[in-house]
Amino acid sequence: MEIPYTVSARPDTGLWNAKIGIWLFLASEVMLFGGLFSSYIFLRLGADYHWPVHVLNVPMGFINTLVLIASSVTVIMSLASLKMGKWGACKLYLLITILCACTFLVIKFFEYSDKFHHYGVVMKDGTVLEGHLKDSQYFIKFENVTSLTVKADGQYPEFDPAYVFQHCTTPNPRLKTPGGKEVSPDKAGLAVIEEEVRKAAEDKEEAAAKAAGRAPSLVPPRLPITLTPVTPLSFAVNSTALPITQPLFGYTATTLNFKDNTTVEGTLTDDKMSLHVDKVDVRSVPDIDHSVAWKYLGEKWKDAFIEHRKERTELFHKEHPEQDPMKEEEFLRRGLVMATHTRLPEAGHHEAEGVGELFESVKETFGGAVHDYPDVEIESKDIERWSNFLPKYNTFFAIYFTLTGLHGLHVLAGIIVLTYLLVVDTRKFKKDPEHMANRIETAGLFWHFVDLVWIFLFPLLYLL
Amino acid sequence: MSESPQDIQKQVKTYLIIGGGLIVMTVVTVWLSFVDFGSHSNNMLIGMAVATFKSSLVAMFFMHLNHERPLIYKIMMFATIFVVVMFILFSLAHGDGLHMPGFESHAAAHS
Repeated sequence: MEIPYTVSARPDTGLWNAKIGIWLFLASEVMLFGGLFSSYIFLRLGADYHWPVHVLNVPMGFINTLVLIASSVTVIMSLASLKMGKWGACKLYLLITILCACTFLVIKFFEYSDKFHHYGVVMKDGTVLEGHLKDSQYFIKFENVTSLTVKADGQYPEFDPAYVFQHCTTPNPRLKTPGGKEVSPDKAGLAVIEEEVRKAAEDKEEAAAKAAGRAPSLVPPRLPITLTPVTPLSFAVNSTALPITQPLFGYTATTLNFKDNTTVEGTLTDDKMSLHVDKVDVRSVPDIDHSVAWKYLGEKWKDAFIEHRKERTELFHKEHPEQDPMKEEEFLRRGLVMATHTRLPEAGHHEAEGVGELFESVKETFGGAVHDYPDVEIESKDIERWSNFLPKYNTFFAIYFTLTGLHGLHVLAGIIVLTYLLVVDTRKFKKDPEHMANRIETAGLFWHFVDLVWIFLFPLLYLL
Repeated sequence: MSESPQDIQKQVKTYLIIGGGLIVMTVVTVWLSFVDFGSHSNNMLIGMAVATFKSSLVAMFFMHLNHERPLIYKIMMFATIFVVVMFILFSLAHGDGLHMPGFESHAAAHS
């Protein structure tokens, strides 16, 4: 059956059908994004930390805004060209729109991956150090391992030597079983270990049954087994792994607890985090002059910070003589947060402010490693929590990824629809340009809406 | 397709002007966000005002909401009312703050 009113207007509504359809869809979209925007407001008003402002890459967001505006113009130019009967121009404009949409997603991809590799370390005193990890990883190093206790109770997860020993840094590790046999942590070794576990369980059950005067159970409960390394072993566990692939439940100064129930005993030798610090944020520190940041960064950076704060305070008093700077979020962000590339103590003043900050971040984005970030080795006892800039870091990144992720899916949907129009429909509707024009108009309305959402997203997430 | 080629030519000119205006306003938004207006809520208000103006230009000219059939306005009116009500509900939930020692007098002073 033919769909009616694809070109002419339906008498009762005064509109062709697809137009009502797309507007009903857009109405639902308004409500969908409205809900998310109100949760943004809710999260922001209720945030118990300093809401990040200008922390996303503004130039990249700016370029993406231009790209979307340009694509909004080209999609409507495509419609206008078709109405004037210019098929070639119509197709060209559609193609440019699709390319703009792809550019948007590529830029978004780079922005996301930048966040995946950027870390924030919240210290116990409220100091926040931001930066990149050395070698992009953070290792917990454990040496002098004297025993491995395997909870071989037959429950899931079962002991798998490969699981634990993939983190062992000693070549060819050898283990001694309680029965005195020497094994390697491989399949053959596991069979020997399993055999001993079974035998130990049966022996114990037999003794218990004899003492109680009953018949022994056929499936006696299995017991933990302790393996002793022949030579002391070393382990290094990557702590930056995703939570789901993170092999440890946790660790202490003397034990590593693997998720397969193996407990490794030894000595913790290193769980310091190596960080190239690009930003120091002391807004939440009660005693700023004794922030733990200066313990790591040293007096030089502390002096630089104090001067930075002094300058900002003087400027603030000059501009707003009536106001208390410590009550102004704007001042706190500029006065108590210091980007370490803006002040190199050795190089003297090198200040980038306001829009000038943008040029710094552009240089950084395009690989101009102009910065000499200070390196620090943070002790784990000073760390409250740390993470890369993912939804788990704070509610800002949670709503950032939710909103831009959903918007990005809309861009992807736009690419699919516009590509369909360009590849399939332009061939099919050569004889019926009016129907084609309506199709482009419908897709265009969706595309303008995607642009409209971004017009709000860009200032809310990147600028304000 | 009731429009004549002259009409469409005129529309194309409008689209280009609006597109250019949107780009200029984007630059302005970025610049304004780095200007200190005394408090951050002022920056917020100004930024959102520009964004609302930009998005209404898109809706009016690109989405042709400046001359559209009444039915579409009705559909969008319901969606808009829904969103406004939701914004109000969210602000009510936030306004209904917890009681904290030492902050009671502050709350009373504002009520």
